[in-house]
Amino acid sequence: MSRWPEWAFEVLRTVLALVVALIITFIIVLVVSAEPGEAFAALLGGPLGSPRTIGVWLDDVAKLTLAGLALSLVFQARLFALGAQGQAYLGGLAAGVIALSSLGQSWLSIPLGLVAAAVTGAAYGWIPGIIKARFGANEIVSTLMLNYIAIDVFAWLIRTRISPPGSGLTRSDPFPESAVYPTLIPRTRIDLGIVIAIIAVIAIWFYLYRTKRGFELRMVGFNPRFAEYAGINVPRTIVRTMAVSGAIGGILGAVFVQGSAYGELAVGFEGLITFEGILVAIVARNRPLIVPVAALFYGYLRQGAVLMGLRSDVPTEMIGIIQGVVILLVASAGLYGWLRASQANRAPDTDSDPDAPQPPIIGGGPLTEQAVR
Amino acid sequence: MTELLTTIISATFFFAVIRTTVPLLLAALGGLLAELSGALNVALEGMMLSAALTAVIVSASYPWWIGLLAGVLAGMALGAVMALFHLRFGADVVLVGFAINLMAAGGTVFILAQATGGDRGTSLALPSKSIPRLSLSWLGAIPGVGGTLEAALSGHSYLTWATVILVAGIWFMLYQTATGLRLRAVGEYAPAAAAAGISPDQMRALGLILSGALAALGGVQLAMFNYIGFTRDMTAGRGFIALGAVLLGARRPGGVAIAALLFGAFEALAIVLPALYTSIPGELIHSIPFVVTLVALVIYARRAQLLTRRRVAGVEGAT
Repeated sequence: MSRWPEWAFEVLRTVLALVVALIITFIIVLVVSAEPGEAFAALLGGPLGSPRTIGVWLDDVAKLTLAGLALSLVFQARLFALGAQGQAYLGGLAAGVIALSSLGQSWLSIPLGLVAAAVTGAAYGWIPGIIKARFGANEIVSTLMLNYIAIDVFAWLIRTRISPPGSGLTRSDPFPESAVYPTLIPRTRIDLGIVIAIIAVIAIWFYLYRTKRGFELRMVGFNPRFAEYAGINVPRTIVRTMAVSGAIGGILGAVFVQGSAYGELAVGFEGLITFEGILVAIVARNRPLIVPVAALFYGYLRQGAVLMGLRSDVPTEMIGIIQGVVILLVASAGLYGWLRASQANRAPDTDSDPDAPQPPIIGGGPLTEQAVR
Repeated sequence: MTELLTTIISATFFFAVIRTTVPLLLAALGGLLAELSGALNVALEGMMLSAALTAVIVSASYPWWIGLLAGVLAGMALGAVMALFHLRFGADVVLVGFAINLMAAGGTVFILAQATGGDRGTSLALPSKSIPRLSLSWLGAIPGVGGTLEAALSGHSYLTWATVILVAGIWFMLYQTATGLRLRAVGEYAPAAAAAGISPDQMRALGLILSGALAALGGVQLAMFNYIGFTRDMTAGRGFIALGAVLLGARRPGGVAIAALLFGAFEALAIVLPALYTSIPGELIHSIPFVVTLVALVIYARRAQLLTRRRVAGVEGAT
């Protein structure tokens, strides 16, 4: 028996996780649903049903890709920073302010909106970065708190300043047409957002694997102590990584609000998609070129679950079970020991092979972890 | 301003602070046990949520205490799942925690819809019970302060008082028993503990399962006392604020209790402020506990950093 390449294992692991998650879903649906056939058909076939649903799926894929990229970056540096949600809200806010200003009457509002969103997101990512690098403050807790704060500030500004005066609405006026992304295929949601996501994938891949800073980032994730001995400024790399990831998070916000699906600022627009980005990043093993692939698959299931909620008696929230099971199974490297053991020749351990893809192990270490000085 | 002061320095406000503190404190104690064993439990939020729903559904047909026990069992089961995937299958503990949070967020709504016959928002259709209040009306008989004491302390749930005992009990467990010592040893430096014959996995599994039980109690108090019934996402970040309380409390039970009390006070403040000052927007008041947690996190990290530096300097000075 020949030795399997490492990537084949990774693919196998992921497919197995997905299959197990789907089997569990099927069993639950069979138990609870009076119309399991309808539910399955919507979950697995629904997204391909019409050009409109395909458009919604691909629009979700663009957003999941951006969220997955933002998280992959920090995960590769072994930072469990989950600030993409807050960055998306504030980035979206910045893009929306530009779209609603007099600049919104010109096509310039689209590139300017992107830049404003990226800068705002980067600034909001810089905050947990600097307190992590300076004081060693746990980035999981800090980024989650910053998310809640951003959501509150966003809702407050929309209600009091941005919605039509006196209306008390939780949304702004619609943006002028020139400030909304043009659709690539008419009457679908397929718009400029997809192009932005693809460019972001290539840019982040280039940054991570073809630049010195990307190398430093990966070294810090690989082994901070070693990176320090190698002369890499670890705190600065941490701050920079969080800021770059924040820029992507901010761009995600712009793609949301200026995308054809919204074209306005609305409270709750992000719909927790950034947390689903965790799943995308984990399944993609934090590799930018795989992120869109994972997003395609997951986005399909996500859209299928929405249609299942609409067309059958099984609630959309069922997808939470799929999310959890997939993450658990993909993250559990040890669960697949028997797979390797069943081979005649054992594949080399990921740890001993420097060329092997990084395991999806990430984390902030204990809460009290010290800043790497 | 005087209005604010008279509101805050009142027995009713004190009562409200205790009410908001207890779920946070229980979850934070859970976070503490897991953290001391060296396994960061970011799933407190999902554990609270799952336990809250379990308790509500079970207590709709059984006595309140069976609902409470069922909630605790749900939390412990999630803790056991975390331990299984983290310790046995080698998954990162933070990832396992988030997987559990995602499953709990979606799963509770899913199960809620099943239990209520289609309601995906609240459990209004279920006649769920509450934890009984402990009346301390005899306090009112104390001359002078009696009335105030009664207003502040009478009428809390049994679980509230059990929480006070739990803080002491956990302190005792951690610092006066062999199990506590082993648990802390594993969290401090697992290889040394393993060399001394302690199984790190066993201690961490214990930490995670107890953590699940405590977070579950927090969720039960939320759904069977603070509010009666379940609402989707009713924990609203309390599990993560609890993690902040673990840090601010310097990873000691007493400290964690004080930190939780502080967060509870700000949450209670966020409840009374809108009535006093209509000019302060509700959204900003709502964000107070999160801002406080963030600031506390930085202060704690800074202090821990200084302590370590001093310790390192001390070691270097000695040699």
